[in-house]
Amino acid sequence: MEAFEALMAGFGVALKPINLLWGFIGVTLGTFIGVLPGVGPALTVAMLLPLTAKLDPTGALIMFAGIYYGAMFGGSTTTILLNTPGESASIATALEGNRMAKAGRAGPALATAAIGSFVAGSIATVLLTLLAPVVVDLALKFGPAEYFSLMVFAFITVSAVLGSSTVRGLTSLFIGLFFGLIGIDSQTGQPRFAFGVAELLDGVDVVVLAVGLFAVGEALYVAAYQSRLTETIEKVKGSIMMSAEDWQRSWPAWLRATAIGFPFGTIPAGGAEIPTFLSYTVEKKLSRHPEQFGHGAIEGVAGPEAANNASATGVLVPLLTLGIPTSATAAILLGAFQNYGLQPGPQLFQAQADLVWGLIASLYVGNVILLILNLPLIGIWVKVLRIPKDILYAGILVFATLGAYSLHQSWVDLLTLYVFGLLGFAMRRWDIPVGPAVIGLILGPLAETQFRRALSISQGDATVFFTQPISAAFLATTAALVIVPWVVRRLRRR
Amino acid sequence: MRRLNAAEVALSLGVLALGLGVAGVTAGLPSEGGYSGIGPNFIPGVVGAGIILLGAWLSFEAFSGGWRGAAPDDARERGEHDFHAAAFGWITAGLFAHMALIVWAGFVIAGVVLFACIARGFGSVRVARDVALGLVLSLGVFVFFVKLLNVNLPAGWLAPLLGGAGI
Repeated sequence: MEAFEALMAGFGVALKPINLLWGFIGVTLGTFIGVLPGVGPALTVAMLLPLTAKLDPTGALIMFAGIYYGAMFGGSTTTILLNTPGESASIATALEGNRMAKAGRAGPALATAAIGSFVAGSIATVLLTLLAPVVVDLALKFGPAEYFSLMVFAFITVSAVLGSSTVRGLTSLFIGLFFGLIGIDSQTGQPRFAFGVAELLDGVDVVVLAVGLFAVGEALYVAAYQSRLTETIEKVKGSIMMSAEDWQRSWPAWLRATAIGFPFGTIPAGGAEIPTFLSYTVEKKLSRHPEQFGHGAIEGVAGPEAANNASATGVLVPLLTLGIPTSATAAILLGAFQNYGLQPGPQLFQAQADLVWGLIASLYVGNVILLILNLPLIGIWVKVLRIPKDILYAGILVFATLGAYSLHQSWVDLLTLYVFGLLGFAMRRWDIPVGPAVIGLILGPLAETQFRRALSISQGDATVFFTQPISAAFLATTAALVIVPWVVRRLRRR
Repeated sequence: MRRLNAAEVALSLGVLALGLGVAGVTAGLPSEGGYSGIGPNFIPGVVGAGIILLGAWLSFEAFSGGWRGAAPDDARERGEHDFHAAAFGWITAGLFAHMALIVWAGFVIAGVVLFACIARGFGSVRVARDVALGLVLSLGVFVFFVKLLNVNLPAGWLAPLLGGAGI
């Protein structure tokens, strides 16, 4: 049990008082910011990134794990009480959770979300612990050609296969890839697309892109189209405790949802959207009270919430073992690693075992902190929800601009931020997904490096991607993912 | 056949123009590539070509009945109100004022102006309250980042009051 020993050493790191403190601060801040309406996990992580600028890498990454989990949970609180899902993964929760809150059962809805998140998160972390060393062993056999093909696979699944439009998903991805090209070419030192601007030579920072798209873009959009609407926040009335029946109906849903959510998280399938809906559908099919669905069935909250958390943990498998982010949030986390000169992947498990296993151990700890922190503090989160929109967005933008400005102490980054804000506004308004652009920015340069390395090794022979069996398999799967649905659609139309 | 959607046409052509721009700049990049035979201009060329193709694809959709499966154009169908130009303008003005002020007036004053403009954009009419809240927040953030985290932020006009913190 090599993994077990490594994990125990990891707990030695994670349970150090100072790291416990960072985890605690991370979960609290993550939940606080995540509760704010309109602030999803990706923005939460991006906005809090500057806070860790002066921390040591282990402490900073442990804090980020806490922020990541906290943001997920904070988002579900908002969804249940406000019925404005901050992200697509919360839509399923909104269906039942908000109905429960309207019926005066907000307490049990929040409780089943919190406990379900804990159960799913913990089981998923165990699965991550067991799976990570296996993937690492496999990944150590990968050369540049395999990595490149795997990244192509990730590009296509996150942009072309999911979402409402293939062409708009790909457009988002390619815009992100273009942003990734700006700056100095890592192989030859050649400046590209920088036009002599010093701030651009460093490349586009993932924080500026994410904060621009998610915070500035969202502020512009909400101000322009939603600021004159009124919303109702459901009150948390009565007991927060779940009844015996609630428990009985919740726990099988949690377990089933974990089994659905984790595998979806580990493959590049666009994050938590599919597993949450799948879990919702499964619970509706299996429930003894299908008539309650749509009117506040507790399984409909328990399942999707657990699936959301399990897949959020699953996303960490490809991120940590292969260095491949499969969601916008994971791409920003990868940016956080890169700020410390760390590149997640199999080598990191060997070179920085303490850091990686400390991080994994801190996920167990983070789940516990999340559980003990959140149920007693629900009253506070509800107050946070009541912050009026004008104050809320003003505050968000003060932090958003701070993150961009602190990069180079330059107003040029603030101009870039606004340009990304306009882009985010347009993408939101005309239904172009934002996630692929963030993933393209961060993964594009890595893919280019692997591509050129692979061709260096093969002396410029491009067939290397198709003659290496693993690489060929990735490319064949990618092609199948694109072609098969297209063919099926054509055949059906006839 | 649906009426031509001007925004979709403009965005599609914008993507196409971006692709052409990328391709144009790429043409001026060196191509020598060492062992791989792949220079710093190869991937930019692929990305530029991709953006051109996607721009063409989007344009085709825009001119043949509109983008497929896009959000409804009528704000009411999306459960929203019509485009509120003043709100959009206040947010933009706030961000540009902040950009201009942060260098010489300092982080705190820029933050107050930004805060007040954004709140105004979201419909607030309580200017005094917004300025007060903006001051508390900006000052708090400034002290926290400069004193505790050692991040440099410009003190600007308030440098005498803030005890020379920051630049």
